[in-house]
Amino acid sequence: MTAAPVTPLRMLSRLLPFVLFLVAWEAMAKSGLIDPRFLPPVEKVASALVDLGASQSFYTDLAVTFGRALGGLALGAAIGIPIGAGMAVSPAIDGFFGPLVKATYSLPKTALIPLLILWLGIGSATNIVAVMLSTLLPFVVYTYHGIAGVPRILVWSARAMGVPPRRLLWKVMLPAAQHAIFTSLRIALGFSFVIAIAAEMIAAHSGIGKLMFIYGESGSYDYMFAAVAAIVALAYVADRITVGLSNRLLRWDDIENRLG
Amino acid sequence: MSAAKIAVEGVSKQFDLGGNPVRALARVDLSISEGEFVSIVGPSGCGKTTLLCMLGGFIATDSGRMLVDGRPITGPGIDRGVVFQEYALFPWLTVFDNIAYGLREKRMPERDVCITAQRYIALIGLSGFERRFPRELSGGMKQRVALARTFAYEPGILLLDEPFGALDAQTREIMQDELLRLCGATRKTVIMVTHDVNEAVYLSDRVCVMSHRPGRIVKEFTIDLDRNANREQVVLSQAYTSIRNAVWLAVRQQVTLHPSHDP
Repeated sequence: MTAAPVTPLRMLSRLLPFVLFLVAWEAMAKSGLIDPRFLPPVEKVASALVDLGASQSFYTDLAVTFGRALGGLALGAAIGIPIGAGMAVSPAIDGFFGPLVKATYSLPKTALIPLLILWLGIGSATNIVAVMLSTLLPFVVYTYHGIAGVPRILVWSARAMGVPPRRLLWKVMLPAAQHAIFTSLRIALGFSFVIAIAAEMIAAHSGIGKLMFIYGESGSYDYMFAAVAAIVALAYVADRITVGLSNRLLRWDDIENRLG
Repeated sequence: MSAAKIAVEGVSKQFDLGGNPVRALARVDLSISEGEFVSIVGPSGCGKTTLLCMLGGFIATDSGRMLVDGRPITGPGIDRGVVFQEYALFPWLTVFDNIAYGLREKRMPERDVCITAQRYIALIGLSGFERRFPRELSGGMKQRVALARTFAYEPGILLLDEPFGALDAQTREIMQDELLRLCGATRKTVIMVTHDVNEAVYLSDRVCVMSHRPGRIVKEFTIDLDRNANREQVVLSQAYTSIRNAVWLAVRQQVTLHPSHDP
């Protein structure tokens, strides 16, 4: 029922891929296969990270990026989930949004950043809207499929027990689609960090993306990688919290459907 | 006729399967009195489940009409409880919350919801399982919860769609007796769709045999067995065997009349 207990050996085996990754990095940097100026060895990145960790402004940048990612994500959910749900229950709404979704599905949303800069200027607004746009479609598509796939007999059962049609969405559709919606949240969460960083590189005065861009421009690759490592760690923690939360809320669901 | 609890009058239904019109039901007539237990048996694909779903108000009729207490069926209603073969429990709700569902929809005070739900949980022998989710239950347990969920909010009519179809033979017999016990205590009007002739004869006051598609009722058997006798006495009795054979033969004729089973 529950996952196997985390023994020290299991912990080690989980860390192994990371250790091997760092060893390969170190070997690559030391061997001269890649110019060490462009690929700083692990210990230099680590010391840069310690250095960054000592400065207050680094945490401000992390918080700014985190806020933009989550702000855009929340907006994307607030707009995308209702659109997806509406499309699943109403042919008229599906007829309106369906073609738009299909047409824009493969468009890289980062391509819109230059336009967003024109409309919203440099700063958080552009960043948040860019994240919102890129997380919108996962929410729309997964919510749509989650609700469209709700077994008919669940709806019929609820109707037979007195649930009126206008309350079906709350009483049956959304609860039954929880799994799909949490999956979309996890996918969108990944997008949100990617887009927040990318947008900050070209359209912000603050944030980890901007910091990475400045360090990259000035050739301080050890600091650039340190900033990357910090945001990777932050995104990882956010992902684990999302998975933990969804597995807690979806404990009624089949184990094999849980997020990993 | 006006005394009928449920009246089905000349009901027809046609479906569109990939551009091909398929006639599911052709002028079905059926009249059921209050407190009667009627089973509908027939070859697979004869439209018996369609008929039940129409009585449930989930599917509209093409022509003819269906009346409950003299009023036409226009949609689902809490006067008609439905139990499906696939149980249709809400997987995100516990056993308790599933059984309490219809009671809460009726705006019953939460204290009474608790008492009623607990009574039914005890009745189906699932005390201690209140906080379990459907996925943690066996097929038989799920079906008991589905029955209890429907009985709990006290619909006058029960519509059962192969309610024991997914159970093993032993569990099925236990559940059948449980259903008889629950029905006996509450005097329900029941319509059950099944492909199991033994089940139909054992449980029903009347068995209707439907024809191959397009379905209509071709034969009716009134079952007059001693309801106070236990299962062994009933099943081993001459009366049971002869009526069972007669029903089986009637269904058999419908199957052999149309040996080519279309999908």
